[in-house]
Amino acid sequence: MLVGAFACAHTPQLLARPGTEDRDLVLRVHAAFARVKRRLETLHADAIAIVAGDHVEAFFLDAVPALAVYVGTECAGTFGRYRYRFPIHEPLARAIVEQGVERGFDLFYTQQAPLDYAFYVPLHFTMPEPAVPIVPLHVNVYLPPQPTPRRCYEWGRTLGEIVRARPERVILMASGGMSHFPGTDRYASPEFDYDRRLLDALKAGHGRELAAITGEELDKMGNIELRTWATLLGALGEAKADVYCYEPSWHHGNAVVEWPV
Amino acid sequence: MNDQPHYRFPPASAYRLNRCLFALKSDDGFRARFLKDARAAMGELELDVEDAAALLRGDRDALLARGAHPYLVFMADLRLKIEREPVSFEFF
Repeated sequence: MLVGAFACAHTPQLLARPGTEDRDLVLRVHAAFARVKRRLETLHADAIAIVAGDHVEAFFLDAVPALAVYVGTECAGTFGRYRYRFPIHEPLARAIVEQGVERGFDLFYTQQAPLDYAFYVPLHFTMPEPAVPIVPLHVNVYLPPQPTPRRCYEWGRTLGEIVRARPERVILMASGGMSHFPGTDRYASPEFDYDRRLLDALKAGHGRELAAITGEELDKMGNIELRTWATLLGALGEAKADVYCYEPSWHHGNAVVEWPV
Repeated sequence: MNDQPHYRFPPASAYRLNRCLFALKSDDGFRARFLKDARAAMGELELDVEDAAALLRGDRDALLARGAHPYLVFMADLRLKIEREPVSFEFF
């Protein structure tokens, strides 16, 4: 069953803060993460299915999956000095890949791939105690052509159906966003107004609007990662977002959000 | 430029260049070899002369024009900078 749904920023400067970052802002985002952690503990989750976009870490140009599921017994990765390892909820991961394929989604799966920091950063801050296993679900956001937001939304709807029919208490978490432009001339000028308008729409329960946004618009607005949110919203329908925080730094719109399920 | 997407399809002609940037981002051993002898490290990956020259100059615009992925250019550069001049971080 689905017991909770969240979206969390994964900005690496929230994990390792250089002097360029406003410490108070970082701590305010941490406080929102701490709220998520407490919620996860209250919800008594058995597993966290986390949807994130690999930053060309597990999947280079040798093989570029649009949608992928990690189905090994565990997964691990590194980011700078951080070394991390998580058990995978294998029965749930298998159910997602098998039933997803059965329902028409040609999913890629892996039993051994590095876990990108996009998965790690939210889990570092929000993993409940005691810890629970995860199911990493990759959506290609950085290597064009990416899946359309509509396709992500449809995948999310199916993912939600699969999860709701399972015996485990499952959290869905989308990692990423909001506006940022790493590696481009726009790095220091994200589209914060766009983020705020979108958050207003999500607060009003208009998550379906994300499915109608084009990939071109996401690229223009620095929001290519919102494909992970579109996936989550496909599972949630018209639920109204509870925005824990929206903290725009000089390069990144940091949001933490919960939806009722 | 304004009509171009920020993240474009990486042309196959830039595969080796992107492979090298990926290795600088994610492969600690390769990055160490690059810092010791950049030309030899680039030779391992059979980078062509112009790609190697742009990378040695740290010429972002030239790298992008040659098909490098902007995120890989950004992260490769960041990792090299941190190795050359350690930045102090507050770790959480």
